[in-house]
Amino acid sequence: MIFFESVDKFYGSHRCLTRITAHVAKGEVVVICGPSGSGKTTLIRTVNGLEPIRSGRIVVNGQDVHAPKADINRLRREIGFVFQQFNLFPHMTVLDNVSLAPRKLRGLPREQAEEEARALLARVGLAEKANVYPGQLSGGQSQRVAIARALAMSPPVILFDEPTSALDPEMVGEVLAVMRDLAGSGITMVCVTHEMGFAREVADRVWFMDSGVILEDASPEEFFVAPRHPRARRFLADLRHA
Amino acid sequence: MLDILREYWLLFLVGQYPNGPLGGLVATLLVAICGLGLALPCAMAIALGRISPYMPVRIAAAFVVHTVRGTPFLMVIFWSYFGLPILLGRPINGFVTLVGALVLYESAYLAEAIRAGIEALPRGQREAARALGLNYWQTMGLVILPQALFNALPSLLTQFVSLIKETSLGYVISVNEFTFAAAQVNNQLLTKPVQVFSILALTFFAVCFTLTQTARRLERIVARRRNGMAKDGEPTALLATEPTP
Repeated sequence: MIFFESVDKFYGSHRCLTRITAHVAKGEVVVICGPSGSGKTTLIRTVNGLEPIRSGRIVVNGQDVHAPKADINRLRREIGFVFQQFNLFPHMTVLDNVSLAPRKLRGLPREQAEEEARALLARVGLAEKANVYPGQLSGGQSQRVAIARALAMSPPVILFDEPTSALDPEMVGEVLAVMRDLAGSGITMVCVTHEMGFAREVADRVWFMDSGVILEDASPEEFFVAPRHPRARRFLADLRHA
Repeated sequence: MLDILREYWLLFLVGQYPNGPLGGLVATLLVAICGLGLALPCAMAIALGRISPYMPVRIAAAFVVHTVRGTPFLMVIFWSYFGLPILLGRPINGFVTLVGALVLYESAYLAEAIRAGIEALPRGQREAARALGLNYWQTMGLVILPQALFNALPSLLTQFVSLIKETSLGYVISVNEFTFAAAQVNNQLLTKPVQVFSILALTFFAVCFTLTQTARRLERIVARRRNGMAKDGEPTALLATEPTP
């Protein structure tokens, strides 16, 4: 589903991704973890072209995202993206936030788009918030709306960039519940997160990154019980003490 | 003052119309509305040009803005008045000249207000729109500009008000507008310039003040609709009842 082929990325002279080669299979749930500044967020943002790359290839759904001739807008419809800061559109109601892309990009008539949007909102448990503006939602509710919005184009792949990091602790659970439900639905998921409980429970594989390199690509059992790389062992030990 | 108004109210309001060209306050408002209606889209285009990903577009937009902002409005009027007929090869009337000068001048200022509004938005707004698959123009038209224009409303309004006041400079190229009408009245009366020009000043004030107040009310209504509950609902109550440790 997603192939990284020796992807390199630089910020100025700083090399932030170094020859990343990896693969996410269809329907797989991959959790990316690692210390801050390790390139997790950068890596996930290269998948839908929010960040350019220096060299290498990223193939999603059989199409090269960074090819000069790629129709990036069309590719992005097939890749849902959930941001750490939600980034809901504050000047639109929740319903409009979710139904915007289907109306403008799939050309659905308003009624049909809104019907679908209501179904998605029901799925994330926010059917009653359809006509409210994002300014009236809690963080957890905002992120669930953002997930519904990312699902509105029925993408086969969805990417999460630290979806719970900006939330108050008591709201993390409701967002993780939605994500857990989503993981069971067969969608391909790549998730940057520090929620190790979620990783252990839901992930098919865990990637551990440091300094722009994927140091470890293992099943959660292997990774949490017996991490091979010393840097990963230290990271897990630090998490336990925190 | 009241007797002057009683005597000349029609001249103040519409000028010589219907026996001559339309003038007076109505003409002033017409110039202002035309100027505004045309300047706003121009300003949006210049603002987008200023933050365009293409350097030549950025340079061209910056050139327009800096040139206009470094020029007194009177110069722009003179330049349009004497220059445009040469450029176009035929005479154009004062009304069109004034509107043209206003559009050129005001769009540069409005563009900077809009650009500030765009740049004040979090980068995530644009990224979220693009990540959904919306293209550049859809992102700007559906997500960025509606928010940027709303945020820029106070400074846009200041600019609109100054646009209305600038129409009075049309006087120097004999456009039949409000100031011109006042001068005509003054020429007929000869002895009461203070009263006549007080009427002019008070009317300008009334128009501009009404506009600012209306816009402020509008702004408040929109803000309340967007975060109504957040303002006078739960969070306030939460804050009030939260126990202090």
